[in-house]
Amino acid sequence: MEVKKKVGVVTPEECNEIRSLFERRNGLNEMAKILTPDNDALYEKLVKDLGETATKFETWWRDMSEKYQWEGVADGNWQIDFNTGEIYLVVG
Amino acid sequence: MDVTKKEAPIWNEGMSKNITFIVTKDCQLACKYCYLVGKNAKERMSFDVAKKAIDYILANKHLFEEPSVIWDFIGGEPFLEIDLIDRICDYVKTEMYRLNHPWFNNYRLSFSTNGINYDSDKVQHFIAKNHSHLSIGITIDGTRRKHDLNRVYKDGIRGSYDDVVRNIPLWLKQFPDGGKKVTIASADIPYIKESVMHLYSLGIRQVNINVVFEDVWQEGDDKLFEEQLMLLADEIIDGGWYENYACSFFSETIGKPLDLECDNMNWCGAGRMLSIDAAGNFYPCTRFAAYSLRSKEPIIIGNVNDGINQNLLRPFLTLDLVTQSPRKCIECEVASGCAWCQGENYDAAITNTIYQRSTAICKMHKARVRANNYYWRKLYHKIDMKGGCVRCQGVCNC
Amino acid sequence: MIGYLIILLDHTSASFCHYGNAAGERKLMSVDTLRTAIRYAMVHNWAVQIVYPRYEVPDELKAMIETVDSCRIMPVEIADGSADVVVVDGWDFNKAVMLGKPTTLRITKSELFERYAELMPLLTAVPKLNVVITDVHKFSKADFETYKTVMKDLREKVAGVFLSGGRLSVNLLTDRLMLEQMNNCGAGDTSITLSPDGKFYICPAFYYDAPDDSVGSLCDDDIAIDNAYLYTLKGAPICRHCDAWHCKRCVWMNRLTTREVNTPSHEQCVVAHIERDASRLLLDELNEMGKYEFNSDIPEIDYFDPFETRDLWK
Repeated sequence: MEVKKKVGVVTPEECNEIRSLFERRNGLNEMAKILTPDNDALYEKLVKDLGETATKFETWWRDMSEKYQWEGVADGNWQIDFNTGEIYLVVG
Repeated sequence: MDVTKKEAPIWNEGMSKNITFIVTKDCQLACKYCYLVGKNAKERMSFDVAKKAIDYILANKHLFEEPSVIWDFIGGEPFLEIDLIDRICDYVKTEMYRLNHPWFNNYRLSFSTNGINYDSDKVQHFIAKNHSHLSIGITIDGTRRKHDLNRVYKDGIRGSYDDVVRNIPLWLKQFPDGGKKVTIASADIPYIKESVMHLYSLGIRQVNINVVFEDVWQEGDDKLFEEQLMLLADEIIDGGWYENYACSFFSETIGKPLDLECDNMNWCGAGRMLSIDAAGNFYPCTRFAAYSLRSKEPIIIGNVNDGINQNLLRPFLTLDLVTQSPRKCIECEVASGCAWCQGENYDAAITNTIYQRSTAICKMHKARVRANNYYWRKLYHKIDMKGGCVRCQGVCNC
Repeated sequence: MIGYLIILLDHTSASFCHYGNAAGERKLMSVDTLRTAIRYAMVHNWAVQIVYPRYEVPDELKAMIETVDSCRIMPVEIADGSADVVVVDGWDFNKAVMLGKPTTLRITKSELFERYAELMPLLTAVPKLNVVITDVHKFSKADFETYKTVMKDLREKVAGVFLSGGRLSVNLLTDRLMLEQMNNCGAGDTSITLSPDGKFYICPAFYYDAPDDSVGSLCDDDIAIDNAYLYTLKGAPICRHCDAWHCKRCVWMNRLTTREVNTPSHEQCVVAHIERDASRLLLDELNEMGKYEFNSDIPEIDYFDPFETRDLWK
């Protein structure tokens, strides 16, 4: 059973930053379903953007967790509520 | 902690450009309350028209300055044209990406469907391909008898309830937060309570419901409406449904006098939206297309070849509450939350203006306010009895 | 509240405003209709404006006109000393110079841009010049820039006249100096038009444009303007936030360009604001001269179309 516990909150600016990265990552992932390598220029751009966005995404979570010292567990994940900026620890 | 379920926030509300493709004017159904008076199987959008519209919109960022976009597809029944929609969506995504358009990082693909072919392979393939950007609403009016009262096939007899309700579990699995839009006309009033409760029982937690804006109301409808809403209030509160389920009829913010310093904006988004039909014409909202209008000429504000005539948008973008409302509305003691549809205002006006507010729902709004007052008084009382306030259930010191 | 009755003596009565009148067939108002119209205006305490065609009207009509104080708007072709306003359609205004009466000059934007310098003899000869740019709704972005240059040059010429002790009055530049509130056409609000066949219209343009859309008739003694508030300043969201008080605020052009009588086009607003800005600079110059006192205050603003400021409206 999934257990969800609130462990912190980020500022609206920080929330917007991760939401924007989240939206972009989703967009890129769905682009990957329709772009084929024969569209050279766009395909290369997509591969590069996917890598860059994933890195920024990971960096945001690392920086924020260090900044706010959120509680964490080995088999858990953090989730953010984009409407409130609240961070949850989800286990299970 | 708040013990009542709030209505789910609308994605990027007020910050999104809503762009609607009228991909077809055909539909499997012939709903009795449908405002689309000119539905037909002939007017289907071509990909070329859609492409031209997208090219124009993405090339003119200065005319579309909203930070996000909702690409909306309607009909008739939009999923009748799933192949076309799939192609349009692929094109719009590719172009937003290729042009480094800011909307690529902030868009949704939105659909209002009758749900009949929701489980078809093509629709399901499309959903899998675009899931994280999709917003899909299925229209179901409530119980079988309420739904089939209006939502019938073209033969005018056979109801569509069974064909829609079988797809609800799949839809809820794919979109657990999916809201339901329900429309109430005169004949539907006796079924409101049972219909909302039925939707809750199907697992739909958010029921967005409104009365039609057209002048269809009979003498005494307001009393019946009030009674139904009070019965619904009793059921929701006595059964504790309010904790996890919401019905948009009940809102804490409606039924107050207007504060014209704050409330003088236009309720409706016509003009801030853009609709495109099969012929490539632009409209300020779908309700201004010919197939939506009973008695007026369509308001075409441009087309995919020539672009938008900005002068024709000016009346829409400067509309305010006071200028279009009769005195009785401005001075009404329960005015807040009383909505209107700009297209219906135009259709019902005595001149060719969008500046004459239709007041056909006046009695219905007042009935809703009375029932709404009852709902909140009863809910407050119940929560008080439980030793807390409606907001915090005793956690805070209020 | 209606205060003026504009009587079109004939279907071919001269246009004195933005609308064109291509109607060729003469349809003269009957003496009976004119008599009833004059009586109607008198009992309602309305001022009367009579618009003449380009031919001499019969003596019976002339005699009837003599029975009431009125403002006689005559095309230059037939105008004489009895005219209160002379209408010149085009650029042949020598006779208007000779007559020395308040004059309305109907010209296109390109005529104005090319020949505005030739206006000075007319400007200094008549007590009031009212320039009507008939195709104001067709201004392009380039036209706006040209018009700014034209107005700058015209302003300098007008200032020169004032500097040498003269005075003149031209709507494009000096009307705004005299005003303390909106002073517009008023069609459908403060004025109403009577066609030769005895029907009421919002203004002459509405009569020619949509003859079936009358708002009443003399014989029924009834005027009913649907959505009448849309013709008032209060019912016009852009205009009520605007201080280009001299603007014609032509409701017919509004309907032509935006579909709504209460909403002006971008072109109408920008042209009025170019004039407003030229008036502001003229006012500054005249105040610097110290000889002339105007009550008006025209603040400097950073827009030419009040529509752009709509987010600031309460």
